[in-house]
Amino acid sequence: MSVDTSGIRLQRYTRSPASSGLAIPMARIALILVPLVAWEVCSRLGLINGFLFPAPSAILNKLWVQSGPNGNPPYAILWHVADSMLRLLSGLSLAVIIGTLLGVGLGMSQRARLVFQPIISILMPVPTLAWTPVLLLVMGIDNRTTILVVFLAAVFEMIYIVASGIEMLNVKMLWVAWSMGASRRQVFWRVIIPGIFPCLITGTRLGTGYAWRALIAAEMLAASSYGLGFMIYDASEYMNIGVIYGGVMMIAALGYLLENVLVGKIEAATIEKWGVLNER
Amino acid sequence: MSVETAKILPLRDGAGTKPKIVAKNVQKYFGNVLAMEDISCTINEREFVAIIGPSGCGKSTFLYLIAGFEKASQGELLINNELVVGPGPDRGVVFQEFVLFPWLTVLRNATLGLDIKGVPRQEAEERARKWLRLTGLSGFENAYPSSLSGGMKQRVAIARALSYDPEVLLLDEPFGALDVQTKNYMIQDLQNLWVEANRTIVMITHSVSEAVQLADRVLILSSRPSRIIADVAIKLPHPRDLRDPQVRRYEDEVTALLSAEVDKAMKRERQTFAGRS
Repeated sequence: MSVDTSGIRLQRYTRSPASSGLAIPMARIALILVPLVAWEVCSRLGLINGFLFPAPSAILNKLWVQSGPNGNPPYAILWHVADSMLRLLSGLSLAVIIGTLLGVGLGMSQRARLVFQPIISILMPVPTLAWTPVLLLVMGIDNRTTILVVFLAAVFEMIYIVASGIEMLNVKMLWVAWSMGASRRQVFWRVIIPGIFPCLITGTRLGTGYAWRALIAAEMLAASSYGLGFMIYDASEYMNIGVIYGGVMMIAALGYLLENVLVGKIEAATIEKWGVLNER
Repeated sequence: MSVETAKILPLRDGAGTKPKIVAKNVQKYFGNVLAMEDISCTINEREFVAIIGPSGCGKSTFLYLIAGFEKASQGELLINNELVVGPGPDRGVVFQEFVLFPWLTVLRNATLGLDIKGVPRQEAEERARKWLRLTGLSGFENAYPSSLSGGMKQRVAIARALSYDPEVLLLDEPFGALDVQTKNYMIQDLQNLWVEANRTIVMITHSVSEAVQLADRVLILSSRPSRIIADVAIKLPHPRDLRDPQVRRYEDEVTALLSAEVDKAMKRERQTFAGRS
């Protein structure tokens, strides 16, 4: 009756990474480091305009000073980052939640799809920044404006990807849950959400990218005191070139962390563990 | 419309005589296409019935009607004398392509039906483990489906469907996606499981040997639009061996009936094709 399972291996075959070992990581680091070093050298030797292109070491020093108690205002960078993050994460969570709900609604109902498809297709390509002046007039220079911009930047992508994720979901998975007597709520939480998880991650990843870009731009227009976008805008008013470069570096680094590290962690804990990526 | 209602044969020993699933003149259209012409049959309590027919004849559709995933265009389908209106936990379904939940471990897949019912976790695990043991999955409880072979996945699907104790088990070509060796091994290996499960089982298949080895009754469907053209009772004890001459005799009988139907269908297809050109 029972089967001898001792001989069956549970290991999955994974493609081994390039056997060249360190070559790829080295090349990656070199691609970042070599231009920086060249920049540093050229700037110090006076080969390039030191005012417009201050040496990277000077930029990093500026960032360091501005993050500390001697910054103007003290700990300025930390406040800028904190404010930007607060806006980004609030807007993004709203976009993920509302986008998922609307996306599931659209994906599950053909009628809803037929009704809403045109309006979404019309609104989706409008650059979020185009809304900013209107929002500014309605709500003023306020966190609500920037949060709403972030929300708008990410929500359409989310709706779209979630709805198409539902269309790709094996309908028999729903059948299995229905034949177990699952309620709508149970189907939603136990089948639909995990079933579209790969799409949720892709949507969040793309949405984060869009939201981050929109946020920085919106902060240039609609932030009064803090935020990385505001910091750059403000620095440009005072020709504080070092801060501008520092801001760009921070934006790149934080964007990388958000998109790849944070979302990447979620990915590794879910769809990679389940092995769904391998099944495709 | 000519109706060739199936002759209901006497039941095997052990199976109940109480009708469990009753189909009365069931008809199914897909758009304008008539898929099922007229299906009437009675499946009794604790009977194992195999439904076999040429490919594309709508066998699976009939199963989906019983499961409540599809609705009949005409006629009625009763379970326990009540009209089927939708899927429900009194029927467990196993699909050809397994349809496991890849985000759940083997054990969590198997307990899902009980979790949904609100059975306490510990009791749910205990009940699921019993079926995982009977399907030969002990030791795999914490594996994710993606790491299992096709045969193992199907064992999980069977355990999952049985663990929440449905009265009726619906098998949609359960061995159809497996390679021949795995399939033969599983059919042999799981024979006692069906006896142990002791409930009404309807299995769709296109394999005559599968049908005669497992079922108490074999219903043969015609090609589309489908009707039941024969109802063969297999009065042999379980477990059965395919090399047993008695099993062979049934296999030959069903094969003969089926291939006559396939011949007819092919001829008709050729005629339609010739008529068109």
